[in-house]
Formats: sequence, C-alpha cells, structure tokens
Amino acid sequence: MTRIIATNVTSPLGLTTEQNYSVLSAGHASLRGHRQWKGLPLDITASVFSPEQIAGLAAEGFTRFEAMVLHSVRDALSQTSLDITSGRSILVLATTLGNVEELVEGRETYTATGEAAKKIALALGMTTEPLVVCNACISGAQAQLMAERLIRAGVCDHAIVCGADCVTPFTVAGFSCLKVLSPAECRPFDIERLGLNLGEAAATIIFSKEQSPEKECWTLLKGCADNDCHHISTPSPTGDGVLRCIRETLAGFPAEALATVNLHGTGSMFNDQMESKAIESAGLSELPASAIKGIYGHTMGASGLLEAILAMRALDEGKVLPTRGFSEAGVSGRVSLSASMRATDKKSLLKLSSGFGGGNCVLLYTKDAALSEAFGNPGESTKPQTVCLHRVRISPDGIMLDGSALDTTDTGAAMLTEAYKKYVGDFPKFYKMDPFSRLTMLACSLLMGTARSTAQDGDRCGILLFNRSGSILQQRRHIESIKSEEGFYPSPAIFIYTLPNIVMGEIAIKYGFKGETSLYILGRKDEGLMSSVREATIHTSGLQTLITGWVECDREDDFEADFELLTIS
Amino acid sequence: MDELILELKNRIIEALSLEDLTPEDIDNDAPLFGDGLGLDSIDALELIVILDKHYGIKLGSPTEGREIFKSVASIASYVAAHRSK
Repeated sequence: MTRIIATNVTSPLGLTTEQNYSVLSAGHASLRGHRQWKGLPLDITASVFSPEQIAGLAAEGFTRFEAMVLHSVRDALSQTSLDITSGRSILVLATTLGNVEELVEGRETYTATGEAAKKIALALGMTTEPLVVCNACISGAQAQLMAERLIRAGVCDHAIVCGADCVTPFTVAGFSCLKVLSPAECRPFDIERLGLNLGEAAATIIFSKEQSPEKECWTLLKGCADNDCHHISTPSPTGDGVLRCIRETLAGFPAEALATVNLHGTGSMFNDQMESKAIESAGLSELPASAIKGIYGHTMGASGLLEAILAMRALDEGKVLPTRGFSEAGVSGRVSLSASMRATDKKSLLKLSSGFGGGNCVLLYTKDAALSEAFGNPGESTKPQTVCLHRVRISPDGIMLDGSALDTTDTGAAMLTEAYKKYVGDFPKFYKMDPFSRLTMLACSLLMGTARSTAQDGDRCGILLFNRSGSILQQRRHIESIKSEEGFYPSPAIFIYTLPNIVMGEIAIKYGFKGETSLYILGRKDEGLMSSVREATIHTSGLQTLITGWVECDREDDFEADFELLTIS
Repeated sequence: MDELILELKNRIIEALSLEDLTPEDIDNDAPLFGDGLGLDSIDALELIVILDKHYGIKLGSPTEGREIFKSVASIASYVAAHRSK
C-alpha cells in the first residue's frame, strides 16, 4: 500500500500546505496582472513570487528553481521521522523546464535538470540516484504514478515526489506565441474563458510503503497514463485519451464512493472542452468537480501534485474545492462545477492531468480505510515475459540496425538527414524538428520500419525513454529569439520542441501508439535505475509493445540513441 | 504583387522548414491547409509570426487568420493592404 505521509505546497499564496489551504479557502488567489513583465513586450496575468518571497526561499549555492524544490521537500520531510539516508528512499522530481531561468539569464549556475536533481538529493543526504519525470503538464501526476510503481516493485520503501517550475521569460514568450495565454485571470470551463495563466510553485508528496501509525492517511490506490495520439499541442476533441485513463483507473472501483474529481482545467478552449466530454462519457457528470488554475495559474510540473494535495486537504475538512473564475458553463460536456466550496462526506479523489505531447494521466486516492484495504493491495501478478524484436543504435559514426550497419556516407548531423531520406522519407515534419527530436524520430522510424509486419493493439503500445540533456540545443535557439525587444519574435515551432517529450507525441501519432509515453531525465546513464523504471512500468502498465532506450543529443555533431522494440506477454 | 508573392513563398518555405520545396512548387491559389501543403495549427501560428515580424501586422489568434491564410495569394493581398513595414 502506498500511503501519503507528508505534503507541502510552496506557492505565492504560502509556504506550507496549511498556509495555502487557509488562504485559498478565504477566497484569495495569487494571480496578478503584470505590465511588460521582466522587460518583455508583453502584458500578462500570472502567479509569481514577490521579490521578498524569492529572497526568503533563497538557499546559498542553489538556483531559484532548486531552492524552491529544497524548501518544499524539507518542509514535507520535517513532518516525518524518515531516515532518507538509508538507501531505501528515492527522489522523483517532476519539471518541464527545470533550471531554464539560469540559461535565459546566461548564468554559470545553470545545470541540466538531472544534475540539479542529484545536487538536491545530495543536499538532503540521500544516497540513491534521483529520477526526473519530464512529460510536460502531466509530469507531476506521472511522477506519482512512477513512485507508486517503484514502491510496489520493492525498488524503494519511500518516494519523495516533488514537482516544480518557475515562470520565466522562456515560458511566457513560448506560451504567448502559441496564443494560449489569457490576458485576464483565467476562467476554467467558463463561456468567457480566454486561455491560461502561468504560475510558479513547488509541491511535494512523500509516499511510503509503511503505514504511519499515529493518524489516518491518504493512499494512492491506482493510476494510469496514456497518449491520445491526436496532435502535439492540441488534445483530442473527444477526450478519448483521458477517458481511457479514467476507465482503466476506476475499473472495479465503486464510482459512487468518489467525493470529487479535480480537473486539469487550464482555462484554454480545447482542454476544458475535451475534459468535459471525457467526464460526461465516463458517466461522472453528477460528481462534484473542481479546477483551481483560476487561483494558482498553470503551475506546469507542479500542477499534478499541488492540485491533488489541496483537493485532499479540502476533503479532510469535508469540502470540495471551488472553481474560481467559473460562472457559466462554456463546454458541451456536462460537468458539475461551482465557484463556491461544496460539502461532501466522501473520502476518495480522482485527479486528471493532460499535456502537450498528447499525454494524459489519471490518479485515484482514498482516505477511506475499507477502500484502501480493498484496492490498495493489488495481488501479485506474474512477471511478464519480454522479448527484444529489434534494436537500433545511432551515433555520429553510423547506424546499426539489428547488428548490421546501414549504408550511409555522411557523418554527424548530416548523416541523420541522409538516413532519414534514404530509409524513412515519409514524415516531412522531420525537417521542422530540433536535433534531439530528429534523432529520436529516426531511431523509432527505423525500428518500426523493420517491424512493419508486427500485429499491434495501439492501446497497448508505448514509449519509455531516458535522457540527460533534454532539448538543450532547441532551448538555446528559443532563447536567441527572445533576447531583445526589437528582435522579440518567438517561434511556436521552435518553442514546442524545447519540450523534449513532444517527439514522443509525434511518434505516437505516426504509429498509432495510444499507450503510456514517458521521458525520464537522469544525471547520468545509470543502467540500474533505467532497468528498475523499465521493469516497474512493464509490470504494471499493461503494455504489449514498447519502444525503450537511451537518447542524448547535447551537441549537433555528438549524439547517441540506443533503442529496443520490445514485445511483452 | 508578384514580387510580394515570391517573397512570401520564400519566407514560408524557410519558416515552416518545407524542405525540398521551391516557390514554383507552391500554387498561388492552392489551399495551404488541409489538402494543399498540409500545414497544421502550429504552422498557422508560425504564419502569424511572419506577418508580425516582416510586415508589422498583428493578429490575435489563428481564428482571425483563417480567411487570410487560405492561400499565398490571399495572404499577399492582405499584406499589401495592411502592412506597416
């Protein structure tokens, strides 16, 4: 059983879960209008820390992002008596862009996300390698799902899961050119909604295999992630990706025991519409629902944690969170929303998250002892058999497919284009992609080209990749395009590929993969941790076909991809 | 107008990374989205950047651009009428 033994929310509204809950229950929000924010030629509404709050969170030798994570984790740890130095605990960090603020400012303090996670783990006294989940807006939810799997698989006894992202000129410029930012406070599900607001926060949940003896606890019962296989920045209009996750997660669970569903509810036209369809199709139209991005904005990597923590905190008081900004429904699916707190005597929560790259993740929590007992201890299942069908390895020197070298004459980045033209050639978007995505797409296309005859059930096909530097080259390109006010023309096509998970969305669409897609960032190529994550995923996700491996591209002419196509039975 | 059309085609090819296409391959009146060049919603956002960056035309959303972005010819007539640089 995976119990929640401590939480923290660090946001502009407060530095603990309690502070946040008390301020938001009094009806306050942290969204504010900012003219020409940080000198950008843009007026935005966002939830950001004040200079005093930033100074208060600062930690010597750590960046703003890292200090935010440290504060959040340390406050959560202070509520427990855990010995995290024992080697039985793991840090799982969820973030979309980590230290990117340092990169924008050109500071030497920039470290890639995996190394930042390692630095934080060491500062906490942890001896195990940390794991970073980087899957856009579902990162915070998927990190919890992974923590639950690792605990269930016996890889660790405790998992400290922290999600965090800063609001930076990088994200503001990027989301602005995607035309998804609302100039005013966002209004999830409302007929007058104009888009989303960005928000910064860190949020932590500590999961433990052991039952905390003094008090009744929340349990993470189950979860599911998938890909809706529709478009890299727009969700499937029917909500079928979220719907599949809801059905899988609630299978066997008495839906009437649910107190509430906390929605992703970004306030964007497309997200809220598709979520409403999914809720109606799942038969949950009468269930009290809430979305709290009208309070905090979209806190990106933190959102799946922050929103779940506060929804559980409200249920502790017998309340369902309000949907601030909602007045009249502007979606076609029926959802039960209210701008005010509502009462409930039930103790189970469903949390939905969706994001760029097509990812969806649904989690189910309960504080009901009987339900926790009945659903929190899934029986032992037999270990699936895994067979490697094909393997591809790409380096600047050449490409090996199933042990044979492919015929290429170029080297370095030119070789990738040459191989694409010669062996793939059916995906013009290849030319729009950044080097990291091109490498990943080429490797997957070669694997799938070889396996063309394999019969497939799309719902059971997934992708699981490991990486060190994310889309660092593309992130530098985006920064170049926003450096000066005169030359401020951020490009949507460049920005979208600064998120390293986007290419998985492209692959999912190209090959009809509707199962779980995930990207993990590590400080180094740690075969042991990669193997644990892969085994835990294979054991619990129900996938039957999986593309998995290591991909790294931190220089145009220096890269590595080593992928396998597995079948699981 | 012919000059503007050629300039637009070159900018579109470059900004949308339409590898292996030349201006001659793009028909002035052919639809850019759907069947024609097969552009998608991210490309539409990229066209908004082209209009802003090179011609000083600001469009709030892809919806506003729907009629304008029908073909290269329709973009050219809109640019000719509304450009500020």
